[in-house]
Amino acid sequence: MKVLVTGASGFLGRAVVPAVAAAGHEVIALVRPTAAIDSLAWPNSIAILRGDLRQLGDWSTQLGDVEAVVHLAAASSGDLPTQFSGTVAATEKFLDHLPMRSLRRFVHVSSFSVYDYSAVGFRGTLSEAVPIDPRPEKRDAYTVTKILQERLVSEACEAAGTHLVVIRPGAIIGRGKDWGFGRAMKVGRFDIVFSPRAKFPLTYVANCADAIVKALDAAVPPASVYNIVDDDLPSYGTLHRLGRRFGARGAGPALYVPWFGVSLIGAMVSLLNRWMFNERAKLPEFLDRRRQLVRWKPMFYSNRAAREELRWSPAIPLQVAISETIGELTITRDHTTMTSK
Amino acid sequence: MTASTRLRAAVIGCGAIAHEHLSYLGESRRVELVAVCDTSRATASFMRERFAARASYTDASTMLREALPDVVHILTPPETHESLIRMSLNAGAHVICEKPMTGSAAATESLLKEARRLDRLLVESRNLLFNDVSQAIDKLRNEGRLGSMREVDVLLSLDLTAGPFGDLNLNGPGVALPAGAVHDFLPHLAYLFLHFAGIAQVEQVTGCLDNRSGNARVGYDHLDVLIEGGDVRGRLRIASDVAPPAFRLIVRGTERSVETDFYNPFLRIEGGDNVGKRAPLEQIGSGLSLVRAGLRNFRDKVRQHGTYHGMPRMLDAVYRALLNDEASPIGEADILATARLVDRIVAIGEQP
Repeated sequence: MKVLVTGASGFLGRAVVPAVAAAGHEVIALVRPTAAIDSLAWPNSIAILRGDLRQLGDWSTQLGDVEAVVHLAAASSGDLPTQFSGTVAATEKFLDHLPMRSLRRFVHVSSFSVYDYSAVGFRGTLSEAVPIDPRPEKRDAYTVTKILQERLVSEACEAAGTHLVVIRPGAIIGRGKDWGFGRAMKVGRFDIVFSPRAKFPLTYVANCADAIVKALDAAVPPASVYNIVDDDLPSYGTLHRLGRRFGARGAGPALYVPWFGVSLIGAMVSLLNRWMFNERAKLPEFLDRRRQLVRWKPMFYSNRAAREELRWSPAIPLQVAISETIGELTITRDHTTMTSK
Repeated sequence: MTASTRLRAAVIGCGAIAHEHLSYLGESRRVELVAVCDTSRATASFMRERFAARASYTDASTMLREALPDVVHILTPPETHESLIRMSLNAGAHVICEKPMTGSAAATESLLKEARRLDRLLVESRNLLFNDVSQAIDKLRNEGRLGSMREVDVLLSLDLTAGPFGDLNLNGPGVALPAGAVHDFLPHLAYLFLHFAGIAQVEQVTGCLDNRSGNARVGYDHLDVLIEGGDVRGRLRIASDVAPPAFRLIVRGTERSVETDFYNPFLRIEGGDNVGKRAPLEQIGSGLSLVRAGLRNFRDKVRQHGTYHGMPRMLDAVYRALLNDEASPIGEADILATARLVDRIVAIGEQP
């Protein structure tokens, strides 16, 4: 198929583009006009389309023969207007110019952020059955815009009869994005690690890219949704220890704060917020009760649907993924060889 | 307040500044928010839900025809203001427009005349005059504690190349106005100068307006001008390449000087009795005042009482004036004086 990948030069896109090409598809990589792609060493067969979805341009006239889409483009930082423009309004423009009715598959990459974490009990399981957060404005701009983006895509696909598959990855880890190896903050030389026994819902970037490739032609019903996390999920404490053991730059000795302590602080701050600021205070993540639940509440994460229906399994194990993230190893595209750096 | 004593408001343009306007419109008892309008369906629909507007539109003329607003807020990019203002005035609505209303004083004057002919109010936003620190300086001045005005300096240090104005992924100019990104902020500096100087026109404007970043999309990103008008002189600066981000205002009179910042507000008052040997007392007092300001700013950041906190006050004053048939808190003469000073400053520049 001729597959258009948006957000192709982003963190996940850089892994998705060669993975889609390796699966035998013809790839059009939509990258921003200023994106530096020479160092990415993509195969010559990949067609580069430069454009910014926030603004109509040449890109909008070159989508006529696209057969499938992997939609990764989104703004992951900035205030609400900035993220809205880069995620929601940009997606609206994109959908308006796609040949929706002739598309064979639309793979939309959403996020774990869209879920209502308060609906998952203590040590419960986050699966695709968990509802979408009904009050995302109480969390953050990323949650608001990713929910709206997913809704836009779903509505457009439903209206056009386009076969949609939604991929919701957990925390994508890889070289250039290490999530601080699970630390909540740094105080002097120490890393403060919250909820050290809670699972860290990570997926290694190449594993996530493989799941997206599988979603392009898996025999699954329209509007299917799949959570993507790796198999051997570490706890926050284990992830931090692994990072230290493999020599992650900047990783210091850990000071653990158990979930009970994190939760207690969050509950007290939440009460103060209600009492003093009518719930309008903008708090950092580590003090914000609703965002604490998302990040540190002990729970389990299921990838069963992706394994059974997409027939996906994460090929790169945790320790190799951590080594690669730190830069000790380079993993080749077919995952069969690893080279010491 | 009943619906009949409220004004029907609509917003055209749902970008970043619309969140500030709509925060007021969605909650005010003087307003019934009848419509939001944006060329993006998703944006208009989101803002309708978020601020409980009655309807959303993607076309301004349809919105004016169907929603019949009494007041239209025009919050689109500056180059679109003129036609939308005319359309709204001709639809019988009063207009509150974000700054800069137009790209020239002549265009602004023409619109103000049109509004007068149609017996409608047309105001350009000047929200910083309604911030706590501006009101505190007004009070000092009105009480005569500053003496006669002599100097007004305004410095905006902000990287104009960051964000959409200088985003090289986007085509065309960041701001489609003669002085580029500087032009977008210039009305703030101009009205602050004129307001605190207490004058309506200036005699001399000298200085430079140029591009120092090399970013072609941003247009001009640096301004440094000296202004003289009557007994008052001043310096207006916009710098993209200095740290930290600040929006500093210094007003100096024959009795006292006062300094403040709109981003991280404080008030330092020098002069009066605390000069000469008593100057250290002023420094100790100012130090304590700075500590209090720091604590207050910390609290304000938590409760999101930010740089735009003057906006709801400004809008409320305009709506109150409209409802009570009183004079607008932002007068036609002030708007025109600001536009003329902006024109003088823009004329200094050469296109990069």
